[in-house]
Amino acid sequence: MEQNHLLTYLLLTPIAGSLLILFLKEENPKLIRWLGFLISIAAFIISLFVYFGFDASAADFQFQDKILWIKSLNVSYFVGVDGISLLLILLTTFLTPLTLLSSWKAIEKKVKMFTFMMLFLETGMIGVFMSLDMFLFYIFWEAMLIPMYFIIGIWGGEQRIYASVKFFIYTMFGSLLMLVAIIWLAVYASGPLGSFTTNLLDLYKVGPSVPREIQSWMFFAFLLSFAIKVPIFPLHTWLPDAHVQAPTAGSVILAGVLLKMGTYGILRFCLPLFPQSAVYYAPFISMLAIVGIIYGALVAMVQPDMKKLVAYSSVAHLGFVVLGIFAMTEEAVQGAVIQMINHGLSTGALFLLVGVIYERTHSREIAYYGGIAKLIPVYCAVLMITSLSSIGLPGLNGFIGEFLILLGSFKSSVLNSWWFTVFAASGVIFAAVYLLWMYQRVVFGTVKNPELQNKLTDMTARELIVIVPILIFIVWIGIYPSTFLDMTRLSTEKILRSVGSFTLSLVK
Amino acid sequence: MIHVGLTHFLVVSAILFSLGIYAIVTRKNAIMVLMGVELILNSANINFVAFSKFGNLGLGGQLIALFIIILAAAEAAVALAIVLNIYKTFTNVNIDEIDNLKE
Amino acid sequence: MELSNLSHSLNLLLPELTLSIALLVLVLFDLIFHHDKKIISYVALIGLLATGFFVINQFSLSGFAFSTGNESYRNFGMITIDSFGSFFKLIVIVASVIIVFFSLSSDEIKKTSERIGEYYALIFGMILGMLFMISATDLILIYLSVELLSLSSYVLAGFTKLRERNSEASLKYMIYGSVSSGLMLFGISLVYGMTGTTNLYMINSLIQIPHLNLFTFSFAMILIFAGIGYKISSAPFHFWTPDVYEGAPITITAFLSVASKAAGFALLIRFVKITFVSYIDTSGFWQLIHVFDWKTLIVVISIFTMTLGNFSALWQDNLKRMLAYSSIAHAGYIMLGLAVLSNQGLTAMLIYFAVYLLMNLGAFLVVMLIANKINSEEIDDYDGLGYSSPFLAASLAIFLISLTGLPPTAGFIGKLYLFVALVDANMIGLAVVALLNTVVSLYYYVRVLKHMYLTKPETAIPEIKTSKPNTILVLVLLIPIFIFGIYFTPLVDLAKGCITILGL
Repeated sequence: MEQNHLLTYLLLTPIAGSLLILFLKEENPKLIRWLGFLISIAAFIISLFVYFGFDASAADFQFQDKILWIKSLNVSYFVGVDGISLLLILLTTFLTPLTLLSSWKAIEKKVKMFTFMMLFLETGMIGVFMSLDMFLFYIFWEAMLIPMYFIIGIWGGEQRIYASVKFFIYTMFGSLLMLVAIIWLAVYASGPLGSFTTNLLDLYKVGPSVPREIQSWMFFAFLLSFAIKVPIFPLHTWLPDAHVQAPTAGSVILAGVLLKMGTYGILRFCLPLFPQSAVYYAPFISMLAIVGIIYGALVAMVQPDMKKLVAYSSVAHLGFVVLGIFAMTEEAVQGAVIQMINHGLSTGALFLLVGVIYERTHSREIAYYGGIAKLIPVYCAVLMITSLSSIGLPGLNGFIGEFLILLGSFKSSVLNSWWFTVFAASGVIFAAVYLLWMYQRVVFGTVKNPELQNKLTDMTARELIVIVPILIFIVWIGIYPSTFLDMTRLSTEKILRSVGSFTLSLVK
Repeated sequence: MIHVGLTHFLVVSAILFSLGIYAIVTRKNAIMVLMGVELILNSANINFVAFSKFGNLGLGGQLIALFIIILAAAEAAVALAIVLNIYKTFTNVNIDEIDNLKE
Repeated sequence: MELSNLSHSLNLLLPELTLSIALLVLVLFDLIFHHDKKIISYVALIGLLATGFFVINQFSLSGFAFSTGNESYRNFGMITIDSFGSFFKLIVIVASVIIVFFSLSSDEIKKTSERIGEYYALIFGMILGMLFMISATDLILIYLSVELLSLSSYVLAGFTKLRERNSEASLKYMIYGSVSSGLMLFGISLVYGMTGTTNLYMINSLIQIPHLNLFTFSFAMILIFAGIGYKISSAPFHFWTPDVYEGAPITITAFLSVASKAAGFALLIRFVKITFVSYIDTSGFWQLIHVFDWKTLIVVISIFTMTLGNFSALWQDNLKRMLAYSSIAHAGYIMLGLAVLSNQGLTAMLIYFAVYLLMNLGAFLVVMLIANKINSEEIDDYDGLGYSSPFLAASLAIFLISLTGLPPTAGFIGKLYLFVALVDANMIGLAVVALLNTVVSLYYYVRVLKHMYLTKPETAIPEIKTSKPNTILVLVLLIPIFIFGIYFTPLVDLAKGCITILGL
């Protein structure tokens, strides 16, 4: 395959931009904001080029770019995309300019540092999704920790310091375990391959032949790292803190992209590298996913704080994704991929919308609001669509993902029990309850709080520019999902094929 | 007459060594601790000389002992200077009381 | 001894000779130039650079100096010159050069500028001790060089006498130091008694035949380890470290934490390798003679050291003290490389040391520049520093992140190679212990970041301006951290070329 540097340009655009911003004067926040926005738009445009150049009829990694980096460890700078990673890269480059735009008013102090951190973060996220070398992957994975720490810690809410440190330590713990597992695998691979290597494509060939017991350890080291990021119950406790304390932009990126890195990691590494273990432990992990779905929903129901409610709903939604991945049928995994995108869009939008009214009233208490339908009708309409999408109403995006996951898990021979589907489906109902209940308490009724009359104003043009593109995709996926499903079909099949032979041997 | 052999020297040196350790562990006065260190150095000296005499190892051991004596003198000089300095600052040389740096 | 042998030996000792001459010149200049002592610093610098030149010249050289003259063991000398030693010598010299620059801008040292001649003379004494420690292969020479290093550093720890804590640091350092070197000497005397020699190579060939009293021998080994463990501040010989690091002038603290530790490690590695390794197998693992189980000892001590260092660092409010505990923890990590007992582990240690030199000196440098201005090293006084003096705070943040071992900094590379060596030797449990420790360390390093960036200061603190030379010095330490973090092949190649320890 010919070398193509498009992905490298995509990777370099935000990092170069962020360095450029470092040289600007703090006194001119307007320039910094515009420049940051334009850079992220540029990254989005480049990612569109990748999208249009992408050949959905090939299952291989495309746009591969490889430079030998460290000879002694046989590590290279090696990037490439398949359908799944491309979709997630698009999500990243799509959400970043929107979050930057959304925080033009919310972030007033240290704009320069904020924009720098966001662009730095974007590089890390894009890098994670396109790395085909485990070492490179790990570097990007870790490199994101620091900007996220600062984004939560500097621009966050009252408990921001606690939340940021908790986030940092949780994630770091997991990723260090992964580092040991990466080294272990690479050392192991030096036997059959003849040399130490971290090239993912080579490791794919070696991983399945690792002896069962060692494989389980490696599998769990990887899984733990990803499970913390997702987060899978019971490792989720950092998430509500981080989400609630982060500024809106941070929450959107956190929910929209960072959590996806966990599920992406499971899909890209855990399954194809350690298929036997993945199949063997699938029911167990799916059980945790189900617990996460129900637990997240129940806890979300009783939250008095809107942001916290959305945060817990993330736990539930990501539970669906994990269930879909470990059901290991084509429908389920496709559904999981789509659900990743959905969650990024819907939950991202919900966080944005909570941010919109928070900017005006500085309150996120559900009880504080009530009857705002008459005051800010446009906002309420947008909130309605977003909530329904998050619930999974047919015709909107959430439905597609959840339906495919439920269907796939029902048919799954790995899980081999319809109870998983039943419990997961109950999660959909719970979601309807907590979101609609929240919506009802906030939007309908009489205006209890006289302050709202003065403080609340409807969405500005800038805010609409941020939210409308998301709405477009929410409807697009809901009505015509094939655009996206076609992109990921072959990639999904490829992953499942690598698991498949082992699946069959184990189940039958 | 008892024939004085290697064992006797070693026993003496072991006793000196133990006494040195004992002094270091129990004494609070810096000077006394330093004397404990001197005891240890000298017990090592006895070892060197005794081994070289009884082990037919030539004069190596004696030579080493000379080195150590000189070094012990140098160490004592430096140590006493430091203790003097401590006395000027704290007006005592009690190790337990010189504890401004927090634990 | 024939004259040719002597000249051959002296030729191998060119760096040490240069340094000794520089030391004499320093003392002379100190006497001649009463009034303007500035020149002394430059003399010191020139002396170091000349020494460094000879060290680099020696990289391809190897040989034994001062052979014992005994016909059968003619080839074994008291001093061994090899690439391994040259690597560590280079580390020491580079650290020393940086320390001279430190001293030029340190307020503590400036206040005692009339005694600057003594200051450099003592530092040169330390360096001389270190150079001999690195290449000594005779127990007595080892003892003498350790004492040479110690005696100079006892004085330096209390050199400024500005505050009570200086004297206290000096006393504590001296007491712990003299006790542990006394123990080491006693151990050496026992080894001498059992083997009849103090030459490491001869001991190695003698203990291949197991006729020793293993109990006494182990006792002697533990005593000798006490002396070395004290120098590298490994648990349980670390008690002096926090007090001395906090109390001593910061230039000396930085010097002790890097150069003195490097010399101690070089000594430990050489001692274990030459004395106890019977052969190296084809995959680079060192096979020990079964007289003393160094592997278990080092594994236990390293786990103990890093855990203790990391957990104690959690509670520290003084940054110097925290860095002291962190340096204890790092000694634990580095010892892991030795515990592997393989060429790969050795390479990892060398890489770690080169990286550690940069990041630890860097952290101390920034702490010193800040302390020059705010006169405090308490972490609470760092509130809001990220905004009042962005350059210094960002540099400190990067040094600390590198100490934690996060990519893309050089600290990550150090840890990476250690982990690779551990996993390659199938010591995965140990790797996991090390990484759990890293997570703990993350907490206290991040705590500094938290104070600098996230906590609002109670009173507005003034901007700390850095002079041009200081900025350059910080950058000199900072930029390689990124370069080696991203492109570390040259460093690794250098380390791989420097694992030859003459012997066997």
